[in-house]
Amino acid sequence: MKRFIIVILIGLSIVFVMDFILGKTLRHFYFTQDSGLQHRTTVSIEKTEADILIFGASKANHHYDPRILEDSLNMSAYNTGRDGQFVFYQTALLKAALKRYTPKLIILDFIGTFAYDQHDYDRLSNLLPYYEDHPELRDIILLRSPFEKYKMISQIYPYNSMLTTIAVGNLEFNKHRDFNINYDGYVPLHGVYNKKLDSVRTSLTYEIDDNKINAFEEFLTLTKQHDIPLVVIYSPIYYLYDRDFSIELCSKLCQKNGIPFIDFSRDKEFLKDINLYEDESHLNQVGVEIFTKKVGRIIKQRGLLSNTAADLKSTN
Amino acid sequence: MLFNSFTYLLFFPLVCILYYVITPKFRWLFLLIASYYFYMNWQPIYALLIFTSTVITYLAAYKLDTVKNLKTRKIFLFASLILNFGILFLFKYYDFFNNSVFEVMDYFGIRMKLPDFDLLLPVGISFYTFQAVGYTIDVYRGQVAHERHFGRYALFVSFFPQLVAGPIERATNLLPQFRKRIAFDYQKAIEGTKLIIWGYFMKIVVADRLAIYVNSIYNNAENHSSTTLVVATIFFAFQIYCDFGGYSNIAIGCAKIMGFDLMTNFRRPYFARSVGEFWQRWHISLSTWFKDYVYIPLGGNKVGKARHYFNLFVTFLVSGLWHGANWTFVIWGGLNGLYLILGRLFRFDSKKIQNTNLRRFQALLKITTVFVLICFSWIFFRANSLGDAILIIKRIFSATGSLFIADIGIFLYSNLAIFMLLLKDLIDETNIRIPLAQHKWFQFLVYASVVTIILTIGVFDGGQFIYFQF
Repeated sequence: MKRFIIVILIGLSIVFVMDFILGKTLRHFYFTQDSGLQHRTTVSIEKTEADILIFGASKANHHYDPRILEDSLNMSAYNTGRDGQFVFYQTALLKAALKRYTPKLIILDFIGTFAYDQHDYDRLSNLLPYYEDHPELRDIILLRSPFEKYKMISQIYPYNSMLTTIAVGNLEFNKHRDFNINYDGYVPLHGVYNKKLDSVRTSLTYEIDDNKINAFEEFLTLTKQHDIPLVVIYSPIYYLYDRDFSIELCSKLCQKNGIPFIDFSRDKEFLKDINLYEDESHLNQVGVEIFTKKVGRIIKQRGLLSNTAADLKSTN
Repeated sequence: MLFNSFTYLLFFPLVCILYYVITPKFRWLFLLIASYYFYMNWQPIYALLIFTSTVITYLAAYKLDTVKNLKTRKIFLFASLILNFGILFLFKYYDFFNNSVFEVMDYFGIRMKLPDFDLLLPVGISFYTFQAVGYTIDVYRGQVAHERHFGRYALFVSFFPQLVAGPIERATNLLPQFRKRIAFDYQKAIEGTKLIIWGYFMKIVVADRLAIYVNSIYNNAENHSSTTLVVATIFFAFQIYCDFGGYSNIAIGCAKIMGFDLMTNFRRPYFARSVGEFWQRWHISLSTWFKDYVYIPLGGNKVGKARHYFNLFVTFLVSGLWHGANWTFVIWGGLNGLYLILGRLFRFDSKKIQNTNLRRFQALLKITTVFVLICFSWIFFRANSLGDAILIIKRIFSATGSLFIADIGIFLYSNLAIFMLLLKDLIDETNIRIPLAQHKWFQFLVYASVVTIILTIGVFDGGQFIYFQF
């Protein structure tokens, strides 16, 4: 038995050394990336000091062009949206940003559902590289599993399955690849949708995830606490639906907190023209130009940016 | 509790330490409690089903051992079989048969249907039911004596390393081991640790990685080209091997560390040179179960040719049905039965070829042919429905187009994982002796590297093992 324990300890020591060396190497190259998804997350968490921050998932990332908002509101803007990332990720990013500075306006693109999905917890692995340096993110990361802090003993674990992405993110050619060209975080889509407007979808039954509702409420509370104007938007979709519990709840929570909720899902302007879409849930660049301009106008009209450069500019 | 969960990584070492600390007299009790705790991590209430199955088979075996009258013995045997298979039928097959009967009746204009139960399938029910039923039949045949110690017998049915996905053990192999006083065996423990590490590699690095690509293609088959569907099917062949083979390795390894020898379940199946040989290498514990308890009682090969082929075909149909309550599994089983029959009808004697190179080429050709045939049958196994399976086959032969790669990283890891797996299997299969590989420190480095690879490119959110659903 003693011999076996010694052998296991020697084996673990070798693994520990390999893990340390490889983990530290991956960490170094993770943060030297200058293109790609992971780089954009690093910018969102550690670098951006833009006046306007846009939060959300893929719809946020592909629907809001910061350049248009910068033009219409005369403020800098950054799009932190990331494909497949839901409210946990958005709340985590907001916490990290608030630790560094106070944005002047926040736009939260509501993903449209509070449904439980284990994958949304799994996807929080994208925040693991920031666990060590950002204690403010830990509560959210630990939603993955209470064992996460023990798994972090491994230096490789936070970068699990990221080897190729990290390698590519450090290569010069990656900056010029179509799907990596971003404008302050915004990644445009260029395709055109070619299917008919989907018939009315009746309300779906799904299991509600209380953690998601809590994270959403935390997002609203944080902006209130920091006195940051917030607008929650449900951006255009190319299908019709009857009613949905999550959207109604989102509207109610916003109302309760005195936060404007703008629902574009039934906006006729975006339902009549298929040429504005890449697929049923995502606008293409043509649609984005119209949509972002409209968002800018609404922000101004509703006076969501009081005492802002936009107002100063208009009064001059 | 899943083998690939963090909880199990804490559970197993703790169980192991306590197992060796506890006085041998009470180890069976400790393992029994640990096994039920392990199982109750899924649906605690379903532990009652294992207990029920244990009680039924224990009492039946007791009666079979004590009663001498053949007729009475038969009654006890059939009562045990009916009750055990009845529970299995209710939870696994009732809805399937109900719907199938309804569809047939509906075809004749009779619309009558019994209510569906929609019961949640208890994890591993097919495995422990077959193990317990096998024991009863063995006692009936007089091949094994009735185990008087109820606790030890309950442990035989619920032993946690092999409880939910096998290997399906035989009473002749496992029960005597529970009676022995087992001392710690260094060699066994080292062997067990190596098996566990390799098992995790197979599951986390190969199976779960391939699953990402396979699921994305098989769940949207109508949108994919022939090339993509072929690659996804090949990936599935390795996925299912590594998912189940990986589980078996972990199970055998864990048992070995505690001093128990479970039966080998996989022996590099994709190196088989005939479908018959494939089934001697694939899920061996189930194949031999069907051989001993279905094929041979039907007459095996000691009957006329036609009857022999019928026996083969029926055995494989039942084996297909064992895997799942769906026509796709029945067809998968039937197809394998058909391969075996055709293989026996057109047997070719390779000894006639004298040239070594030609013989090697022939071996390669045979391995490839078997792999292609097995891959074809996997289409039915993996497809979400019979309609999907037919669609996939149609598209494989008609839908030209390029290979779909959504994420180059996933694709690269998948191919790298298959390469490493095949390399290890090839070394084991050909028994190549690499002098350096015999060195202790080299082995340390290799297994430490495997663990590092698991940490680097393993899929940690992979979830369930495929065979849990059976």
